[in-house]
Formats: sequence, structure tokens, C-alpha cells
Amino acid sequence: MRDYILLYINGKRYQVSGEQIFQPFSDFLRHEQGLTGTKVVCAEGDCGACTALLGTVKNHELIYEIFNTCIYYVYQLDCQHVVTIEGLKANGHLHAVQQSMIDHFSSQCGYCTPGFVVAAAGMFEKKNVLSEQDVRYGLTGNLCRCTGYQPIIQAVLAVAPDTVPSIAECFPSSAMLQDFEQHTTDSIAAHYEETITGKSVIKKFFNPATLQEILDCKKQYPAAAFVAGGTDISVQMNKGKVHPDTIISLSNLPNLDFIKRQEEYVRIGPKVCWAELEHFCKNTFPEWHKTLTVFGSPQIRNVGTIAGNIANASPVGDSLPFLFVMNAEVELSSVHGKRWVDINDFYHGYKNTEMTKEELITEIRLAPLNAVQKMKLYKVSKRKDLDIAIFTAGILLEEMDGVIQNIRIAYGGVGPVVLRLLETEAFLKKKQFCLETFREAGKLARGEITPISDVRASAEYRLQLSENILLQFYYDVCEEQPC
Amino acid sequence: MMAAIGKKIPHDSALGHVTGEALYIDDIPFGKNELVVDFVGSPCAHGKIKSIDFEKAKQIEGIVGIYTHQDIPGHNLFGPIIVDEYFLAEELCEYLGQPIVIIAAKNWKAVKQAKQLVNIQIEAYEPVFSIEQACKKNQYLGETRQIKRGNVQNAFKKSECVLEDTFYSNGQDHFYLESQAAIAYPGETNELTIISSTQNPTETQQVVAELLDIGQHEVVSICKRMGGAFGGKETQAAIPAMMAALAAYHTKCPARVVYTKDDDMKITGKRHPYQTHYKAAFTREGQITGLRVDFYSNGGAFADLSTAIMERSMLHAENAYYIPHIEINGTVCKTNFPPNTAFRGFGGPQSMAVIENIIEEISIYLKKDAYDIRTLNCYGVKKNNVTPYGQIVKNTILPEIFEELSQTADYKQRYAAVKHFNQQKSTKLKGIAMTPIKFGISFTTKFLNQGNALVNIYKDGTVQVSTGGTEMGQGLNTKIRQIVADEFGIDHNHVKLMPTSTEKNNNTSPTAASAGTDLNGLAAMDACQKIRAGLIGLASRHFASVNEGLAPAPECIRLEGGYVFDERLPHKKLKFSELIMAAYQERISLGARGFYTTPGVDFNRETGKGNPFFYYTTGCCVAEVLIERLTGNLTIERIDLLMDIGESINPGIDRGQIEGGLIQGIGWLTNEELRYQDNGALLSYSPTTYKIPNIQDLPKIFHVNTIKNPHHTINVRRSKAVGEPPFMLSLSVWAAVKNALSYVADNQIPKLRIPATSEEILRRITQYTSKAQTDLESAESEISLLSSLTNTEKTRVLPV
Ligand SMILES: Cc1cc2nc3c(=O)[nH]c(=O)nc-3n(C[C@H](O)[C@H](O)[C@H](O)COP(=O)(O)OP(=O)(O)OC[C@H]3O[C@@H](n4cnc5c(N)ncnc54)[C@H](O)[C@@H]3O)c2cc1C
Ligand code: FES
Ligand code: FES
Repeated sequence: MRDYILLYINGKRYQVSGEQIFQPFSDFLRHEQGLTGTKVVCAEGDCGACTALLGTVKNHELIYEIFNTCIYYVYQLDCQHVVTIEGLKANGHLHAVQQSMIDHFSSQCGYCTPGFVVAAAGMFEKKNVLSEQDVRYGLTGNLCRCTGYQPIIQAVLAVAPDTVPSIAECFPSSAMLQDFEQHTTDSIAAHYEETITGKSVIKKFFNPATLQEILDCKKQYPAAAFVAGGTDISVQMNKGKVHPDTIISLSNLPNLDFIKRQEEYVRIGPKVCWAELEHFCKNTFPEWHKTLTVFGSPQIRNVGTIAGNIANASPVGDSLPFLFVMNAEVELSSVHGKRWVDINDFYHGYKNTEMTKEELITEIRLAPLNAVQKMKLYKVSKRKDLDIAIFTAGILLEEMDGVIQNIRIAYGGVGPVVLRLLETEAFLKKKQFCLETFREAGKLARGEITPISDVRASAEYRLQLSENILLQFYYDVCEEQPC
Repeated sequence: MMAAIGKKIPHDSALGHVTGEALYIDDIPFGKNELVVDFVGSPCAHGKIKSIDFEKAKQIEGIVGIYTHQDIPGHNLFGPIIVDEYFLAEELCEYLGQPIVIIAAKNWKAVKQAKQLVNIQIEAYEPVFSIEQACKKNQYLGETRQIKRGNVQNAFKKSECVLEDTFYSNGQDHFYLESQAAIAYPGETNELTIISSTQNPTETQQVVAELLDIGQHEVVSICKRMGGAFGGKETQAAIPAMMAALAAYHTKCPARVVYTKDDDMKITGKRHPYQTHYKAAFTREGQITGLRVDFYSNGGAFADLSTAIMERSMLHAENAYYIPHIEINGTVCKTNFPPNTAFRGFGGPQSMAVIENIIEEISIYLKKDAYDIRTLNCYGVKKNNVTPYGQIVKNTILPEIFEELSQTADYKQRYAAVKHFNQQKSTKLKGIAMTPIKFGISFTTKFLNQGNALVNIYKDGTVQVSTGGTEMGQGLNTKIRQIVADEFGIDHNHVKLMPTSTEKNNNTSPTAASAGTDLNGLAAMDACQKIRAGLIGLASRHFASVNEGLAPAPECIRLEGGYVFDERLPHKKLKFSELIMAAYQERISLGARGFYTTPGVDFNRETGKGNPFFYYTTGCCVAEVLIERLTGNLTIERIDLLMDIGESINPGIDRGQIEGGLIQGIGWLTNEELRYQDNGALLSYSPTTYKIPNIQDLPKIFHVNTIKNPHHTINVRRSKAVGEPPFMLSLSVWAAVKNALSYVADNQIPKLRIPATSEEILRRITQYTSKAQTDLESAESEISLLSSLTNTEKTRVLPV
């Protein structure tokens, strides 16, 4: 048992404990370490100004990926190595991306620039030649208000991948790896006392090393918040919307980041992050893969998890319409044992789920599509990339000889939870697969939902989308297989 | 030989930017005893303060001081044009979040807790949010102004076609990445140094002096750089600076204010939303014969720069078109939003949008290509070249730009292709448009058109330059560096631009109106020339040679490539540093102050006539868009842009201004939507919900070019200002959307507001394609309030 977080920053070892671990890592960098190259603009993961490289141990190697330091708390960083903008200028030499950005006028006010440099540097870890598409994709999580991005793209494209030393070459891993391997099996318990407006509160942090331990811990502290990637909960903490006194991290928990095909199921561990799923889905669920490419940003996908998305219970969680129409099942574990719940029965109301305060999501499983099933997913958002959906939909069709045998329709963003459109589904069953059918279904769908107007869109827009998306589905299916 | 000018010399802070070593306000290490400062604002948009109670807040550990307007030793009432804005609300609160209480503390944690314990009781009054409501209540800021030529009523009467309607454009948040920030350092006795992220250090100096009731000579106001500004730090940087100054004054400790992005977006002013009534008369060929536009802007609670912004709107109402009979009226409405303020284009975008909308509508009505309407009405070179305010449009090449761009962008062919595409059965829709800009350069307020600079040469031949211009990313420092380097014929690396400080440059104008390089560059040049005179005199004596029969000839002295020589003896060179050392020993001044005023600008706002501009920056842009008919999703397929920016001082920097400005404009026109709750609270107050363009939103094909203009012979090194103009070229994207909608609108003229979000686009498509006559003629307003809006829109086209 330890009471500190062990981490490295730009190759330097830190043991952080007490109050200091309960702050966003960007604050730790800027305020405690004076590393002000990392900027904070939004403190909610939406601008990328705070981007740094996160080195995590995978197969006895440190693998570096970008993340947003503003929504990653120090307590999430145990046994990891962070490289910041300051770390990229190794031994006084500019990183190739830095030089290229100077040469291409890629900075104007410069406030976004460190974030872009780090994100771009991260892309060269794989040493492959980057296309313009890759560069845009890799920098989706970074906003710039000055340049219009073009000179940034040009700067990155101008860098020859083989001339860029990898992070591991700049920061030798062996000593760090050894240090981490000695410590990663430790459980961590830390706390500090805080006085908030006169009242004293003990803030507690646990980082259990086994499943049993975490379930025990949750039983003891049922009000505690689990933290996986933190991309939901840390935002809420930064914005003062939640103030959990007790935090339980899943980061050192082993064996929960699997993805595998086993018998009739695809089985997904709760800690699997979106980047891994994206990779996996390319062949298994190409349609899901498409929507994952517009899920958040690389920084978000690198740490955000599927269980976090499910547990967060947002009506516009991107994965949910898919999981709904696939009849995915969620495994819930607690000290009392395990149970499987159909995702369609998981949500009871706004942010109200079937999961009890003692339970942890330990697996998600679903059967792959069969040969007669056609499935389409839709996400409509104000901005195509790095935006929360206004409306989402998943539609799964089984059709034979021009007749709809079975159809499942799930909409998100039209109510307090993701909804199955049971009436519309029933209407469509045994109907001709033709435009007129879907036109009528669209009208029905409108009647089945009661969306609200909010900051992202009006109720009217959502109603129109729920009608139109069925037509879009019809056209999309036709396009694949002319009807 | 010009050495530096015209070259792509990197931004002078680029190295600091890419390494993260460039310091912004909040990166400056905390000083000993330094305090952090924050504020508590009005809990409602309009009301009277009944009581303020912060006793409990004071008890929080770490709180050092809590202040209200009663703790202000000097003035509390400010305003750059009309003095109407309270720094800290006294009795009346006129917008949500308007600062009332200032808290100084040892750390942010304490501030956060204390803020929650400040209890402000307000008697709420009915707020006014929209232009329509303000007009009903006769709530205006300043007077309605007019610019007029000819007889517009007559033109309407005689015209073949008249078109009349109302146009709406919503606001825009600056979304500079570095939020408002300032640090005040108290000095001896009354002295105070303030470092702030401001486009206007002189104003910061002045307001702080007035606030504290001290002399302006006791305040030094400094700005090294800003993490973006775009107009948002022209006047509004004053409030955080005053907060810091007030805390420093009372505590005698350094005091730091750094807004969070959320607070910044919630309480700072934005681009003005506009509502414009227009009536245009035109011939069947599309010649515009008369135009009346009544601009109404949503000014927010206080005047700020609104009247000047309205003036610029009025001066750009006709954009690039000659309109013989024209009447332009401009009114600023007072509402209960934060005071709206300068934003790149300064009212130009809003008014150009109106005329470009009119042209699209004329073309739809006449079933002609809008390009032909535009070229038909475009300002001429020899005739049809006088603006409504009487200035002659000189030395521009707009017709040439139209012609060349339509060639290189393949406009006509693509126009036909779009038409063809839209006739196919598809879930997609395309649109294309080409729009011009003619943007006037100079402050329309005459006295602001001045600049001063200080140039110091050190004994090793290196140079420091200070001007009143501030660096916000636009590359001003780099350009001045190039100008100065060339004046002395030295490497630009030997010239350094120093932080802008009122200690070195006094009574400076804000860095705005795209005129930063023009004013400060020419002032720096003036200073250089003063120093040069002494140096050249010395050099001419040095190179004079009795033996060779050469008398001293200053006109033959050259400063080039780091050397000085007499062109009659080009092999006898002296290093610039050697010349400087000699000059020092000869007791010749190696420092000078330069001054510049823009010649010939004058505008009489009473008569609406004059020459407000030194010259115009012009250009054209073609945009092609693709729309998903069933969702309204918009993709920009291709952009081709051509601008006349004179002889570029730094093509790398100018290109960045063009591309960046264009993309920022596209944001305003498409995805950036300010949505408010019906109590006036901004709901889209962070990047989660306020969507500025992302890297993925760049057009797939993006061509940016400049064109030579041999007629432009004035201004610093024959360059042209480039900061704001490209912003307005983005109107081509919006016009292309309107063009696309015309294909689904049957014989109606499709309406489209700004921003054309996917929601707005789908609403229009549905409106024009649904057979059933639904009530989609729904509410229209220049702002988005979540509660539903009244008043319906009317479309009238009246062929006479
Ligand atoms: C900038 C940004 C962009 C985003 N874009 C998208 C998007 O495009 N689409 C989208 O759907 N979401 C988006 N999100 C939301 C978020 O990234 C996802 O919901 C993500 O999947 C959450 O995973 P996490 O591991 O980070 O969750 P965390 O924040 O760690 O946890 C979220 C919640 O789930 C609980 N939890 C986590 N793991 C478990 C578990 N195993 N068992 C039980 N409870 C658990 C936590 O206690 C917490 O309440 C975005 C977020 C940000 C900040
Ligand atoms: S500060 Fe914006 S993503 Fe972290
Ligand atoms: S350079 Fe200013 S935000 Fe990117």
C-alpha cells in the first residue's frame, strides 16, 4: 500500500501525495512546477491547448499518446511518464515539428501552439508517412483561432518521419519501466483534509490493484466516484458540477482492457479506450468505426472508455444507439456477485441507471451482425468533429425480398435517455421496404419523442431530424444495394 | 536593395511559441505576496441593487480584501466614446454578470469559496434583449446617423423591380485563446505598473489613472503580447486591468486577474448582432438603381465602441458596388447584454452581408448568375467610382480581380456544374458564389490616425524598437522589424521589438482598424530616418577623401547588407556596428522618436461626407458548398481567393492573416452560435457548445493568391493593411449556401440568416420543400433566445 502517486515528467521522477494529487495535472504543471508552456484555455478537453504526451506501459514498453492535461487529475497518473512541450526541445535542440512550425508561419498569437506541437509530435511516434487526412485527423482535438490551420497542416506534412527521434529515444525507458513495474501492483490510498467554507472534509483517493479490492472499496464508500479516463467526470469536477469526496481509480486494475471475439460474442472490457475500439472496429463493426472517428478528439479517445460512456448515462452518448440496436449486454459486478443487464433495460431516467451504488461495469458483450442484418449509425452535431451530438440514431434492419422482417431503431438526444422507437418499429415490421414506408415511419417517429430545445439545437430541429433520418437510412441502404 | 521587406521572415515570437517559452500574462511567475483577484457579477440582466453582503465571504481563510464601487478613490464611470459605463455597478445592473464586487485573495481556492458567499440582492426589472424590444422602448445608444446620396424614393418609384425585407445576423464571440488578464504591480507612493493583455495600453493607463485618481504619468501600462484579441481587447481589457489595479491599490500587493474562459465568454461583449431593413430597386438586367438600408445593431448595455462600429457598417453598406441613389441609416440599440464591442471587420461584415444578400436575392429573382449582377454593379475605374459618402474609389482593380479569379477558379464552368448537380436526384445539394470586398483602411475617427515610435541603437549596432502597436499574433512586430532593418540596411535579427509600454510611447491609438503596421511602421520609419540623417552625415565625412577628390556627399551614402559605404567608393566599407561606435564617440544621437499621421483622411459624421479612408483593400472569393438535404449538414468543398494587398511586407504573415481571417469569418457565418437563456444568460459559453472552426472544417481545396496592383503607390513600402479585410471574403460561403437553397425554393426567394447552422439550413429546406403548409415561417430575430420568439418574417418581391 502506498500513499503517493509515482510519475515522471520529462524524464524526472516525482512522488506526489496529499492535496497535490487532487488537482488537474495542468495546474500541477503550471502552478507547482512552473512548466507554463502547457496552456489552459477551456479546462474541459475541448481546445487541446493543454495537450501533453502520456507514456503508459504496454507490453513492457512505454507507449506515448496525447491527452488533455486539464481534465486528467494527478491521481490518474500513477506509473506513467508525461512529456510536455518543455520536454520536446531535447538537449537544446528543437524538435523537427517545432522547426517546421517556425518555418511555415504556423503560429500567430502562439497560445494554441504548444498544444499543436505536442499533438503533432505524437503523430510521429509511429514513424509512418502522414497524409493530409492523417494530419487533420490527428489534430482534430486542437483549436486555433488565428491561423486557419492551413500553415499548421503544411508544417506537419513537411516533416520527414524518419528524421524525428521517438520519445523513447529522447527519454530512455528502461529505468522508468523498472520503477513502474516495481510499483504498479501496489494499491494506493491517499487523503487530505480540506476546509470548504468553514466545514472540514476528508478527500480520499483509492487506486485498488485487484477487482476484489475495488468492489470492497465501493461497498465501503458507496458514494465514491469511479474514475476511468475521467473525460466526463473531470470536466464536471472542473466546472464545479460534482464534488466527490472519495475517488476510486480504475487505472491500476489489471485485466479489464480486453477486446476479443469469443464464441458468439464480441467481449469488451470496461477500460478499453475509444482509440483501441476504433482500431478493433475497423473490420468487425465498420459502421460503428465510422462514428468512432468523430468521437471527441484523439486526446479524448486515447483515455475515454466505453464503460465511462455507458455509466455516464448521457442521452447523447455516442456509443449508445449502436449498443441499443445490437442488444448489447452489460456485466455488473459487486461484492454480491455478477449479473448481466440488457442495455435496453439499463437506463431508467435522466442519469438514472440500473447500476447500484456498489456495482462496477466489468464487461460489455454483443453479437456481431449476421448476414441479413444491415445497420446504420448517425450523429448530427453542430460541428462535424469534436462536438457532442444534437441527435444520434442507430437503425438495424433485417429485410427479405423487399419486406422488412425486423427493425430496431434507437434515437439519442430526443429525450432524457436513449430511446427505442417501439411503435415505429412495430409499424415497419412486414412493410414493403420502400420510400413511402419510411416517409410514413418518419411521421410516426416524430410522434414518439418529445425532445427539448437546448443550447445545441431546438426541439423542432430534433423532430425534423428524427423524421428525416429514416429517409436517410432508406437512401443509404439503397445506395449500398440498389432497391 | 531591400533586404528584409518582401521576405518570409518568421514571426518574431515563433521560437517562443513553438517551445512554450513565450510568456503570456498568467505564465509570469507569481511575485512575493501576489494576490489573485476575481469578481462577483450581477445575478440578473436588469435590476436595482438592494443589498450587498459579503461578511461571510470575508471570513474565508486567504481572503485579503473585498471591494465595491465605494472603494474606488477616483472615477467609476468610463467609456471610449460615450461615457456611460460603470466599472463596478453602483445602483443599476444592466447586464448579467456585470461586475459588482471584487475579491482579492491569497489563492484561487479561497476566491472560489468566497464568491459563493457573496450575497447580492436585486430588485429585478424587465430586461430588453432584442433590437425589436429596444426599438419599442426607444432605447438607443447615441443618435441615428445617416449617409445619403441622390433620391432613393424616386428610384423606388421609377424602378422595374423592388425587393424589400429584413435581414438578421447574430453575434460572434472573439474566442481569443488567452482570456482577459492583467497584473498590477504597486510601486512607490502612487506609482503603478500594469501588465495586461490589451490592444490599447494607453487606454488601460488612462482608465487606471482615473480609477485611482492619480496622474497618467504615475501609471505605466505594458503589453508584451496577447494570446489573440481580434478586437475583443480594444476596450474590454480595461475592466480586468481596473480590477487588478484596484486590488493592488488597496493591498499594496501585486494583484492578478485572469478570467476563466467561461467567465470571459459570459461577460465580455461580442460582435454586434444586426437587424437590417432593406429595400432595393433594380432593373431587369440587375443594375441596382436605389437602395435604402436601415441598420439596427444590438449594442448591449453600454455604448463602448458601438457608434463607431455602426459608422463603419454604414461606410460599407454598398461594399464594392456603385449605387447611384442610396440612403443608409444606422441606429444602435441599448439592450441588457454585455456591451458589444470591436471585432475584426468592425461592423463591416454585418453590413456587407446585407448587400451580398440583396445581390443573391436579385439574382434569384431575375434567374441570373449572381456573378453577373456583381460585375454589373461593381465600382468602375473611370466612372461609377464615387462612394455614397463622396470618396473616390481610386487605384483599385476590382474588375480585374473579378475577371482573373473567375478564370483561375473556373467559376462559370463550376456554376453550370452545380446547376446540373442539383437537377439530379440526390440527398445532396450544392451551391456556389463569388463575393467581393472593398474595405476602407484608417480609423474613421480622424485623431486616432497617428502613431509614434522609439528607436534606440546600441553600441554594438543592435536596435530596439518600441511603438504604440501591440502584438496579438498578427505579425506587427515582425513587419516593423523588417522595416527598421531595411532603413539601416542590417539583418532583421539585429532588430528587436520591445514590449509595448506607455513609458516609451505615449497617447497611442489602439492597435486596430487593420492600421497597426501603417501607423506604427511609418512612425518607426520616421524615427529611423532621423537617426539615419546623423549617421549619413558622419559616414559622408568619413568616406570623403581629399586625395581622391571626393567631397562629403550624403546622397551617395548607402546602408546595405550590414555595411555603410559611399557609392562612389563601393569597395571601402564600414560595418554598421563600426559606424555606430564611431557615431557614439562623435556624440551623434543614436535614438529617436518618430511620429506619423495619415494624410488626407477626414470624415464629417454630421453630413455623412468626406474621405474617411486612406485607401481600400480589395479582393474576391469563390466558395462552393455541399449540403445534406436531410440533415442540413454543410461542407465547404472548395475556396478560391484573390486579394490585392499591395506589396506585401511579409508574404508569410499576410497569407496567415488572409487564411485565418477567412476561416474566422466562416465560423461567424456557419457554426458559431450564441444561444441565450431567456434571462439573458449565455448558454454557449465554452468551446463545448460554442463551435469555432475545427481543422476538419477547412475546405477540401483551398487556393489563396494575391494580385499585383501597380496603381497602389502610397503607404508604408506600398503595402496594404490585411488584418480585417479577408474576414469578409467568407461571405462567399454564406452566399453559396443561399445559392444552394435557391434550387429547392421553387420560385420563392429563400431566406437565410447568419449563422447558417445546419439547423438553420434544414429549417429552410423543410420550409421550401414541404408540401404541407406548416408554420415554419417561424420566429426571426438577430439573437437566439431559448424561449420562443414572436414576429414573423415576410418575403415580398414586388415587380412594378
Ligand atoms: C472534449 C470532449 C469530447 C467528448 N466527445 C464525446 C463524443 O463525441 N461522444 C461521446 O459519446 N462522448 C464524448 N465525450 C464524453 C466522454 O469522453 C465519454 O463519455 C467517455 O466515454 C467517458 O469515458 P471515461 O472513461 O473518460 O469516463 P469517466 O469520466 O472516467 O467516467 C464517467 C462516469 O462513468 C463512471 N464509470 C467509469 N467507468 C466505470 C465502470 N467501469 N463502472 C461503473 N462506472 C464507471 C464514472 O464514475 C463516471 O461517473 C467527450 C468528452 C470530452 C471532454
Ligand atoms: S485547456 Fe482546453 S483542452 Fe485542456
Ligand atoms: S495561433 Fe492564436 S490560437 Fe492558434
